Amino acid sequence: MFQYMVRRLLQAIPILIGVSIIVFLIVYAAPGDPTDRFRTPRVPPEQIEALIRAYGLDKPLPEQYLAWVTTFFQVWRPEAWGYSFQDGLPVLQKVMSRMPATFLLMGVSLIITVVLAIPIGVLAAVRQYSWTDKIITTTATIGYALPSFLLGTYVLWLGGVLLKQWTGGAIGFPLFGMESLSKRGDPLDVAWHMVLPITALVILGVAAWSRYMRSSMLDVLHQDYVRTARAKGLPRRKVLYKHALRNALIPIVTLLGLSIPTLIAGAAITESIFTWPGLGSMYIEAVRILDYPVILALVMLTGVFVIMGNLLADVMYGLVDPRIKY
Amino acid sequence: MSCTVSSIRASSTRRTIIATVKPQDAIAPIVAPAAVGDTDLIDEVDLAPVRTYWQLVRRRFLRHRMAVISLVILAVLIAYAVLVPLLTGDLYKDPSLRQVWDPPSFPDAPLGYDEIGQNEFVRLAKATQTSLMVGFAAVLIIAGLGSLVGAISGYVGGATDNILMRFVDIVLTLPVLFLILMIVGFFGQGNVWVVIIAIGITGWTLAARLIRGEFLMLREMDFVAAAKALGAGHRRIIFRHMLPPATGPLIVACAIGVADAVVIEAALSFLGFGISPPEASLGNMLTNAQTYFVRAPLMVIWPGIILVLMVISASFLGDGLRDALDPRQRIDVK
Repeated sequence: MFQYMVRRLLQAIPILIGVSIIVFLIVYAAPGDPTDRFRTPRVPPEQIEALIRAYGLDKPLPEQYLAWVTTFFQVWRPEAWGYSFQDGLPVLQKVMSRMPATFLLMGVSLIITVVLAIPIGVLAAVRQYSWTDKIITTTATIGYALPSFLLGTYVLWLGGVLLKQWTGGAIGFPLFGMESLSKRGDPLDVAWHMVLPITALVILGVAAWSRYMRSSMLDVLHQDYVRTARAKGLPRRKVLYKHALRNALIPIVTLLGLSIPTLIAGAAITESIFTWPGLGSMYIEAVRILDYPVILALVMLTGVFVIMGNLLADVMYGLVDPRIKY
Repeated sequence: MSCTVSSIRASSTRRTIIATVKPQDAIAPIVAPAAVGDTDLIDEVDLAPVRTYWQLVRRRFLRHRMAVISLVILAVLIAYAVLVPLLTGDLYKDPSLRQVWDPPSFPDAPLGYDEIGQNEFVRLAKATQTSLMVGFAAVLIIAGLGSLVGAISGYVGGATDNILMRFVDIVLTLPVLFLILMIVGFFGQGNVWVVIIAIGITGWTLAARLIRGEFLMLREMDFVAAAKALGAGHRRIIFRHMLPPATGPLIVACAIGVADAVVIEAALSFLGFGISPPEASLGNMLTNAQTYFVRAPLMVIWPGIILVLMVISASFLGDGLRDALDPRQRIDVK
């Protein structure tokens, strides 16, 4: 097991290098360079040239890449990811300060999603082709096809605007942000702000996860050992929950690992709609003002999370399924 | 003779007529004397007419109810997106101060007018056209790049295959939405061609993997070995013998690709990176409508309905085509 993990980690290194090369080349090929924002009539050309030398922009491409990639992985240094063009703060510090908000939002919505989706998927599978199943599958298909920005807009509209109209202003969820200015640090206030974004994320999540759960459960229910368990007279409930469900959960555990990277990148659009101060909305803001260091850092960070998520999924698969040998 | 007639009726291409008629003509004189007065035997032969591959595909597809409904919906949407802008020209971006917030009127403006007096129905048609255009153009890139990489990988195999597949792994590791946003941000916000290329060059990996899988399987088939033995060149083997049987998976990848591309374009325009007003896109219409939640709630609904209809029908169409194009499902059809 340990050997396998080390081997997988070593395999991840070339992929990570490839990712960094592609990302670097895209930035390199982009028109303009980081000194563009200083090119005003008031800045003398000598100073621009001095800046180009200071940034190392006059060096050949491979040298620039090496300089960037070697500093990038020295995460113990605060300046490793450079400084944001927006406010001059170290990117590492900015990313770290935004991370808790994203983890909170995505963590809570992932937990609610899984808790809701598993029983729904099981119900649909157990009553396959019944009306319950048809309603669940159709709803899930529609939910699966809903683009996140569309759903986010509708949730915002229903929960933030219409609800307030209908209840005469009594109930209305906040339209933006993570906390009210007057109640900073109040957990209840944060929870109140989380209701709408979480609703949007959970609807999308349950649509996808309940479909996985249904097909996984159906796979198991059609296997011989389930029939045997029924044939030897075990009660239906026991067969379903002790024999079938436990095996049907194995692929779901793998999916949990694979959804780790979505903790960062998955909700950029939803975060942006609800102006949630997380990493996703930070990325979109950074693209808007072409804040190169922040863009680079977040794309690389997500790449690292994808690789770690894949690894974690494989390891968890081995842990929950004793048939897997490394 | 009746069996020959029915085979001609059942087959649509010349090649199959020759193939089916010849053996039966040869048998007919021998069978016919024995079957005189016993027409049942001939009827039984009639019941199993020879069908070409495409006839089978059509039959299998028509049995897939949701796919047929989706095809009809898509046809209606395409007709709407092509005809309305064709007939009205630049009307979709013509503001008119006298018609601000005018209610729906038939037949000129079935959906009324928006905050600067643009005809909502016409604007929606133009936006649908933009979406479909981006979707199909991006899918051309996806299909082209995907089948190129997949075909080389599966046909050549060995080290080439290994290198190309590691490259696919790397592209899959990159977060698609972040990457597209980055490319669009750097190379031209608001430029529809940058949006198309960004979607295309980030979305080809599924098509490449599917085509590679088919090619790895087809490469070992006898008919490919036969073509090779007859002296066919690589190009002939790939384009004439291996790509046609691999079109099924490619079409499925394309259906998924269209749906994804349409959603991504709308999302980009929604965030302000894609197509911006006065040009119309489902995404920027929705952004605009957000400002008027209370004033004109229906403006939020229309672009959403069109978008969801497009995505759902494309995915059902993909499902239907996958089942219909799979030659292994022949037994299913009566």
